[in-house]
Amino acid sequence: MKRRDVDEEIQAYMDLLIAEKMKAGMTLDDARRAARLEVGGVEHIKEEVNDARKGALVETTLQDLKYGLRLLKRSPGFAALAILTIGLGIGANSAIFSVINGVVRKPLAYPNPHRLMYITSQFSQQHFDKFWVSPPEFLDYKDHTRAFSDLGAYLTTAVNVSDGDNPERVNAVFMTANMFKVLGVRPERGQVFTPEQDVPNTEPVVVIAHELWERTFASDPAIVGKRAQIQGRARTILGVMPRGFDLHDTKAQVWAPLGLDPSNRQNRGSHYLYLVGRLAPGITEGQAKSELQSFLKQWGQWAGPGPGPGGMNHVPNDSTHRMNIEPLRDEVVGNVRRALWVLQGAVALVLLIACANVANLLLARAEARHKEFAVRSAIGASRGRILRQFISEGIVLSTLGAILGLAIAFWGLRAILAANPGSIPRISEITLDPSVLGLTVVVAALTGVIFGLAPLLHMSEKSVTIAIKEGGTRTTSNAGRNRVRRALVTGEIALAVTLVIGAGLLLKSFRNLTSVDPGFTPDNKVTFGIVLPQASYPDSQRRVQFFQELSSKLEAIPGVQRASAMSGLPPFRQVNANDTDFEGYKYVPGSNMPIPNVDYYQYATVGYFETMGIPVKEGRAFDATDAAGSPVVIINEALAKRFYPNQDPLGKRLNPYLTRDTTWFRIIGIAKDVKQGGLEASVGTELYFNYEQLPRIVGFAPGQMNMILRTTRPLDGIAPAIRRAVKEKDPALPIVQMRTMEDVVGASVTRQRFLSMLLGIFAIVALTLAAIGTYGILSYIVTERQREIGIRMALGAGNNQVVGLVMGQGMGIAILGIVLGVLGAYALSRLTASLLYGVSPSDPLTYATVAGVIALVAAAACILPTRRATRVDPLEAIRAD
Amino acid sequence: MPNEPANLLQGTLDLLILKSLALGQLHGLGVSRRIEQITRGTFLVKPGSLFPALHRMEDAGWLASSWGASENNRRAKYYKLTAAGRRQLESEVGEWKRIALAISFALQAT
Repeated sequence: MKRRDVDEEIQAYMDLLIAEKMKAGMTLDDARRAARLEVGGVEHIKEEVNDARKGALVETTLQDLKYGLRLLKRSPGFAALAILTIGLGIGANSAIFSVINGVVRKPLAYPNPHRLMYITSQFSQQHFDKFWVSPPEFLDYKDHTRAFSDLGAYLTTAVNVSDGDNPERVNAVFMTANMFKVLGVRPERGQVFTPEQDVPNTEPVVVIAHELWERTFASDPAIVGKRAQIQGRARTILGVMPRGFDLHDTKAQVWAPLGLDPSNRQNRGSHYLYLVGRLAPGITEGQAKSELQSFLKQWGQWAGPGPGPGGMNHVPNDSTHRMNIEPLRDEVVGNVRRALWVLQGAVALVLLIACANVANLLLARAEARHKEFAVRSAIGASRGRILRQFISEGIVLSTLGAILGLAIAFWGLRAILAANPGSIPRISEITLDPSVLGLTVVVAALTGVIFGLAPLLHMSEKSVTIAIKEGGTRTTSNAGRNRVRRALVTGEIALAVTLVIGAGLLLKSFRNLTSVDPGFTPDNKVTFGIVLPQASYPDSQRRVQFFQELSSKLEAIPGVQRASAMSGLPPFRQVNANDTDFEGYKYVPGSNMPIPNVDYYQYATVGYFETMGIPVKEGRAFDATDAAGSPVVIINEALAKRFYPNQDPLGKRLNPYLTRDTTWFRIIGIAKDVKQGGLEASVGTELYFNYEQLPRIVGFAPGQMNMILRTTRPLDGIAPAIRRAVKEKDPALPIVQMRTMEDVVGASVTRQRFLSMLLGIFAIVALTLAAIGTYGILSYIVTERQREIGIRMALGAGNNQVVGLVMGQGMGIAILGIVLGVLGAYALSRLTASLLYGVSPSDPLTYATVAGVIALVAAAACILPTRRATRVDPLEAIRAD
Repeated sequence: MPNEPANLLQGTLDLLILKSLALGQLHGLGVSRRIEQITRGTFLVKPGSLFPALHRMEDAGWLASSWGASENNRRAKYYKLTAAGRRQLESEVGEWKRIALAISFALQAT
């Protein structure tokens, strides 16, 4: 409204009135005085005009907001508590939602990402789900499929990139040339490799990541066409991919051709490829699946009957060797999705509890201001006007809370990301983004309105007159109001119990996981990886010699007692699943007999078992004589149990197919089971081969090994000496991830630790809020019943009776809440079941402990109000008001 | 005391303003005087209630206003009925007649 316009209009009215009066015979002065008297206060009229207009809504709202702020300033304690509560709720929600948004909801960064499918094989008898695909399988599939416009394959590994003096180990993807087309990505500089460059024995080429280009090649503008030492070979750099390009969350920095030979379809047993396909236009996921299903039935005709070792047929079929299709995104984020939604559920509960608490605070305040509102209502403020004021106060609170919440979210998110290296996929996509901000605004507005409305629950017409008649004192007529507040606190306790039980179960799982025996002793050990490039170490014997010499060099460092090398670092290895013949074991296809296939192959130097602290239960460990001796192998207990159930395995022979012709390895020892595939997984079967004898027996020894050192000194103290030793051996070799073995074991439970830590924090926040709520309602009840308590005491009630009365009320609320919470937790236990390890989702001990703890917390929250009740002076209480 | 101005019944002010403007446009004081005239001096509308009502009714779309010169050549803001205002007048007149009839029946009852 244009205020000036109203001014002018009133002035014109005055002028007309004065003229009228002068016409009737008044003097100018008299006319003016009379007119002014008749018109009244100009400002007042302007206010009235403003109020009358629809547009005034905005201004009264602003007024209310100002008033709200002023009121909050008058009770800073209340304001701080409320804002902190809302801030915590909103902050935790925004932080977790940011994580979910980045990881689960945001589409993968390719064009039409929902058309990308991930294809794996599945061996039902060995319980291998999502297993790799072999090259012939990939080529067969690619030849026949019409459901996919293109199908690519890749494998992930790591390579050494050396630029002069700074060797570096980076993740790499070897893939078919068409993968760029499948994904729909182009390089930001130069070219990608073509199918012609993706065949065996061509000049080596690579495409590198923007990050590697920046970091290692100093953003060289003329990088395309240059050569770089990658994995010991000079490779031509064809192009640079745009920043952030990734495939399957590998964080790869180098992409190189896979070099499959399309004509070679012989080696069907060797599964090591991941497949990604782009659905052809108009084809659905379901159609692709049914096409694959029909392929499984006829694959045998394409491949021929070629029997594998042990009579096994490595051709996909629709029973023992299936193939699976799923959206690529499900694969990338699949296993964290549930954990993240559980977290989101948990923070939503925290927010609900926070809301209940703030509503309770506002209710309590509304009680105190009961008379004020009654008076305002009586002198003509409309119910709408009072309602609006409540809501504006709520909005002021929640807006300030939201601002605090965003700050908490910002720092919380940083803390989450910092606390969580490597256990969340797509971590680079997590930001506080507009949709998170939008959510915060919505949550803030909703909580504002809800908080605002809460006090109205008892602001009825009737209560206005009662409040005035009572002169503002409280009587038992407040029972209805009390019911609301008690219900809020009961609900709060119930939610807190649910959350704390969930957190308790996860913490217990985590404790179970960390107390799992990995099969070796992780303390006092340092490990790091070394990869000898094929190009500079082409000879197996030289590789063995390198590790022997490096071990001696390391053992010469003061504090290092023993140094050994092995190919696979437990407890986080990828399954090998190698076909193995056991002498005298005849597998009958289709029977219940275990398939002659071993989960893990481990190549270890002589001292490995001693260094790692793995007991050899029967027989002997490798010794120096084996290098020149006959082929020997050590098995683990799981393998002995599976393939030699009722016999002594020592001295028996097996053929691991490490050579083209049959070579029998004699079993010389049985080692204790070591967790290979994660602490929560069951132990797989395992074979240990003696690294030193490999070149002579099988003509090959791997160059990618892990060093393990037993040392009495901390990592920090010994690391420089280790680096020096490696550098003296070969300055071009990068040291990969030097860590203590305890860190390695710890890293394998990072996600569980992360989850239980966050849920634990939320549970503590929830518990605190619920305790505050309980305390609040009880002290309110005590104040309200002061008079009654006084009368009781005057009539002879002792301290004990008063304590019983007050505690009874408080604990009544708490116990109802606990019962509801336990029921809630039980109802939700199905959702968390898959996140638990070694504890049942309805674990009675956890439920009972949590119920007990929360009852104690509630009792503690009751103590102060109860003590105040017992100190009521009967005389004063009765005389009051 | 027949000359004592009566209190306006809630809702009657709108009706009176609409009625006063039925014959043509008037400025604020004109509306006031016109109501005084057509109610034979029973209702005196003061600016404190007149202006809020005028603005509210303008917002409701019943009135339109424009600045013009008064009879003695002073600037004044003139109000006139819109089509919606005329319809509103009709419906309020009908409503009022119903109420008046009902009240008079009630008072006649023995």
